[in-house]
Amino acid sequence: MKTAIVIALLIANSTPAHAAGKRAELDGVWILLRAEIGNLQLTPAGEKLRAAYDYQKDDPDFQCKPASFTRIMHTPSPPIEVRQRQDHVEVNYEFMDVRRRVPLKKGLAPKNAPYAASKYPHLGRSVGQYDGETLVVETAGQRAGVLDTLGVPGLYQSDQMRTVERFIPDGDKMQIVVTHYDPVYFIQPLTVTFNYLRLPGGKIEEWGCKPEEATFERFIPAKK
Amino acid sequence: MYRKFAAAAMMVSWLFLSCAPGLAHHSVAANFDQTKTVDVIGKVKEVAIRNPHSQITLEVTKPEGGVTEFYVEWSDKNALLRRSVPVGKIHVGDMVTVNVSPSRRLPNLGYFRTATLPDGTVVKDCGFAAFRDGIAKGKTGC
Repeated sequence: MKTAIVIALLIANSTPAHAAGKRAELDGVWILLRAEIGNLQLTPAGEKLRAAYDYQKDDPDFQCKPASFTRIMHTPSPPIEVRQRQDHVEVNYEFMDVRRRVPLKKGLAPKNAPYAASKYPHLGRSVGQYDGETLVVETAGQRAGVLDTLGVPGLYQSDQMRTVERFIPDGDKMQIVVTHYDPVYFIQPLTVTFNYLRLPGGKIEEWGCKPEEATFERFIPAKK
Repeated sequence: MYRKFAAAAMMVSWLFLSCAPGLAHHSVAANFDQTKTVDVIGKVKEVAIRNPHSQITLEVTKPEGGVTEFYVEWSDKNALLRRSVPVGKIHVGDMVTVNVSPSRRLPNLGYFRTATLPDGTVVKDCGFAAFRDGIAKGKTGC
């Protein structure tokens, strides 16, 4: 019985990627080449929060909590993985061990989708569909808080924010164009473009972050 | 050794006095002055190769006597392993010279550049940018 379960699990885990043609190029492990931030125009409320931001107190990274998918992707060294399946897409981020499952279900609104990363419900609910060869992922239900601490430190998001990510294949390169729509903190939608490079033979490793090892205060002898 | 430590101590004192009151975020470039380098000589107290940042703790002899701890911040464990950095060569108890980019904020902190071990071996890390550039050129790493 045990052997049968192990074999079944092995088969399930070795299911080949579903996508064919150009979009199949999205499948793989990727490292960040560069990130570009579009025209950032904050509302007065967004400016106020950004001015008051203190990374030592307000950066969720120090509690091993990924602020947002944009923040995750701004971390340069840990790679990400994309695996397209028949009815969903897996996006696995090495940073903070984020495992994201995006259903590909026509007519499903993000608000009715399950949490994209069950371990981190604050990251919201995502739904995917294809626009030609581009994978388009829409996310809603992201909780209010810090959006970015690295690309744009002190950028905040409200719970009204809607995010659209376009995964664009280009052989051994991939572009993810992220657009954040947030009427509370952005005067106009904020676009962040992440350019990725395929990592041949790459693998997503365990991150295993521990807050006591991540906090800035570990450098303060009295706090040790 | 004392002269090197004195130079380092002078440098870190200057850094302590001159550091900006508030830095916006925790990136390496924002927190460490990568235009400067300091040699710190000390006994390895702890080697913690981990995520999100690795850390080497050195016990450094103070000019006036006694020891103080100096922290060497480094890349995440996964990145170091991908870059095949021989981190296992740095052992607790070894007297080493670690070359660091000094912290802009704290006098007892620097970012790893190289480590010279007791047998003269120099542990180097090419860094993420060189690793990424190597991959872009079709190599397997740096």
